[in-house]
Amino acid sequence: MRDRGSAFLMAPALAWLAGLMVVPCALVLALAFFRRGLYGGIDWTFTLENLALVFDPLYGGILLNSARIAGLVALIAAVAGYAAAFAIVSRPRHWQPVLLFLAVLPFWSNYLIRTYAWIVLLNREGLIVQAARWLGRDGALPQMLYTEGAVIAGLVYAYLPFVILACYAPLSRLPRDLAEASRDLGGSGFTTFRRITLPLTLPGLAVGAVFVFVLSVGNFVTPALLGGGQFQMVGTLVYAQFLTAGDWPFGAALAMVLMAVMMLLLVAQTWVAERGTGGRRDA
Amino acid sequence: MPDSGAGRLVLLILAAVFAFLYVPIAVLVGLSFNASGLPTAWTGFSTRWYAALLQNGEILGAARNTLIVAAASTAIATLLGTALAVGVELRRRRSRGIEALIFAPMIIPDIVLAIALLSFFSLLRIPMGLHTIVMAHVVFNLAFVCAVVRARLKSFDWSIVEASSDLGASLVTTWVRVVLPVIAPAIVAGALLAFTLSVDEFIIAFFTAGAGRASITLPMQVYAMIRFGVTPEINALATLVMGASLVALALAQRLNRRTLGA
Amino acid sequence: MRPVVEIEGVVRRFGSVTAVDGVSLAIAEGAFFALLGASGSGKTTLLRMLAGFEMPDAGRILLDGADITRTPPNRRPVNLMFQSYALFPHMTVAQNVAYGLEMERRPRAEIRARVAEMLETVQLLPLAGRRPDQLSGGQRQRVALARALVKRPRVLLLDEPLGALDAKLRGQMQLELKRLQHEVGITFIVVTHDQDEALVMADRIAILRAGRLEQVGTPREVYESPATRYAADFIGQMNFLPGHALPGGLRLPDGGLVRVAGEGPVQGEAVAAVRPERIRLGPGENTLTGTVRALAYHGLDLQLQVETPAAAEPVTLRLTAGEAETAPGIGERVTLGWAARDTRIFPA
Ligand SMILES: Nc1ncnc2c1ncn2[C@@H]1O[C@H](COP(=O)(O)OP(=O)(O)OP(=O)(O)O)[C@@H](O)[C@H]1O
Ligand SMILES: [Mg+2]
Repeated sequence: MRDRGSAFLMAPALAWLAGLMVVPCALVLALAFFRRGLYGGIDWTFTLENLALVFDPLYGGILLNSARIAGLVALIAAVAGYAAAFAIVSRPRHWQPVLLFLAVLPFWSNYLIRTYAWIVLLNREGLIVQAARWLGRDGALPQMLYTEGAVIAGLVYAYLPFVILACYAPLSRLPRDLAEASRDLGGSGFTTFRRITLPLTLPGLAVGAVFVFVLSVGNFVTPALLGGGQFQMVGTLVYAQFLTAGDWPFGAALAMVLMAVMMLLLVAQTWVAERGTGGRRDA
Repeated sequence: MPDSGAGRLVLLILAAVFAFLYVPIAVLVGLSFNASGLPTAWTGFSTRWYAALLQNGEILGAARNTLIVAAASTAIATLLGTALAVGVELRRRRSRGIEALIFAPMIIPDIVLAIALLSFFSLLRIPMGLHTIVMAHVVFNLAFVCAVVRARLKSFDWSIVEASSDLGASLVTTWVRVVLPVIAPAIVAGALLAFTLSVDEFIIAFFTAGAGRASITLPMQVYAMIRFGVTPEINALATLVMGASLVALALAQRLNRRTLGA
Repeated sequence: MRPVVEIEGVVRRFGSVTAVDGVSLAIAEGAFFALLGASGSGKTTLLRMLAGFEMPDAGRILLDGADITRTPPNRRPVNLMFQSYALFPHMTVAQNVAYGLEMERRPRAEIRARVAEMLETVQLLPLAGRRPDQLSGGQRQRVALARALVKRPRVLLLDEPLGALDAKLRGQMQLELKRLQHEVGITFIVVTHDQDEALVMADRIAILRAGRLEQVGTPREVYESPATRYAADFIGQMNFLPGHALPGGLRLPDGGLVRVAGEGPVQGEAVAAVRPERIRLGPGENTLTGTVRALAYHGLDLQLQVETPAAAEPVTLRLTAGEAETAPGIGERVTLGWAARDTRIFPA
């Protein structure tokens, strides 16, 4: 009886998810295996050309470049976020929730607006240029907006709070006496960090870094706004296939590769997490 | 911290991180009140850009669309998501398939869901507009509502349901009088979260809105505006949107505290 | 011979709390030294200052005559066994034990040999490859001990080493610790709030009270001749009879006199103290009469609670199993007696 009631309650939502998520996603993945029609439509003949095209030097290069940028973003955000979380944890206990809240607060404001803030900061008449001028640095500064650097800064800015949050939890839960035990046994501060603190909090850091990578590699808003019209990443490429070039099958193939990379990373991250806790089981 | 060198490093890191996080926002908010509207010079405090916003029909129309989408998708998602949460927790056995299905909308990249829905709607020749945005937003919103309500139900003692029927209450009475009041704060919190997410959502709305101005939402409007650079009006709009998010967050916090306190 | 550890007038404050308040102690080479005190009396704080995790606000700490007050913990030849054990969860038993030797940059072969030898000593060799969460409480305790001991510190500090174990295991481990200490010949400083444990294990005991030293001595001295009323109360069981001190004794409220051997310096309001096992049935140099109110059988002995007109609290005495055969029943009137030399007098 309980299970029948349960099925009745779940049915509408599951139907919604099936109809508007599973079917469309399956459809778009299937599109990757068909030809592009002459006038933007779809020609229903099976082909692997689209997937091959993804790894063609031109598009493969964009894919690699996206991965490189996302990797850099994940690395910077991981280092800065971990350092920030570490700094928060080393403040007195009653300060920590306040600091954490402040660190995560920007995450709650609109993504477009957070990205826009960097346009305000980096444009030709932006604050950084003004500040440089005020400091007496005359002459033209190098272009800052519409560069790869701007995209990286924007992505780090967008996702840093996430990493801080992911690192804070394990750091604050780590018993203080473990680090003390290491010091007591002769470990320096750095050795203690490298051999005790870092390995025990690595799963949190891995979660943070992987999510930042995944969110960055397929990102479309930030490269479009901070990278300028010519700047291409996988996200902007997918966007272009669907909304301007009209090559849906190729766009679908790109999305498929993106999903595959994402899945792989999430699995790897789960693996790190399990290894980090040493497959903890009660004796 | 016995070592004051390490203590100073910690303060330095905190200062740098908070500067990085807040300077861009602060500049934006500051500029929105600058009479000249330009970053080149501060010409005095003014709210003229806010006034200009209120005259801008396009922005007001987009804001109206956003509220419609958010309200509709939140209403549907809250209903479906709550039922789903109760249904899942009621089941005696966990099904990995169902868990994955519920978790998926939270981790699928927006761009993938966006193109999937675009292809789906166009291949089925479903005309797109505000209604398709609503349908799309319900997908992720119901997942979030479900997650929030489930968190509350985890600690729910099902034996009180049995106790209620044992005391002679019908099934419907039991649900209305016993279960709903316990999970009501979580439902409201979930709805608030869904509303906020929907108001902020850009990419999926962008792909499922169809052509024409009629179904432009506020984030789409903001995107269109900021692609053409910095204007004082966007500064004001951005400040307003951030202020609204802050209020929503504060509300959710209060609610959460009340839930936990109960 | 110079003591290994000398603590000179050490003070440590936390805000308005003075956790350790002017403690001076000398601890001899090879001692098994127990720090005993109620919860919050500053035992852990004192130990953490010896280990280097807290800096004294005043005073200094010497190790083998050298001032180590400001030496960081990783440079002190002193090791601490944590109350929580603090085993590294991501390392095996062997890796945990090897950690301290790796910090000394010992050659691999030496590390392997010493770890194996140490695990053998604490009987954990078969579990060398396990992780801490796959061990029982007693096994974890031994890993923590092995990890600290393998470094052959000048002094091993142990913070409630047996606190997390159940009563039976505790008893075993008390003897085990004592055997180990004898075997390795390292000075042990053990914190405990269990007085029985201190009496069983230690060859010297220091009693701390609110950050100050109350008494230092051998278990026998502390038990037989407590220096203060607090020490007398804290170690073992004690009967207290309030009254008025006189030369050579104490006048009870009901007019009776309690005699003391030797002349106490005490005057005015005072208490006479006598251990339950020193009281016998029948008259003695000091005598009280009263009614038996309760009997409690404790395995080896029988405890009697006797209500007397001399004190508000009932007087407790312990009869050995032999005497218990002829013990009085509840409600019977009895006469209690004990010797003057078993009586002590403290200011009230
Ligand atoms: N880091 C600290 N900050 C503030 N107060 C502290 C700190 N450490 C200890 N104290 C205080 O100092 C006093 C002594 O504490 P300590 O831990 O040394 O007691 P203890 O004798 O070990 O007690 P227990 O038997 O409960 O372990 C207590 O009042 C405690 O609250
Ligand atoms: Mg303690």
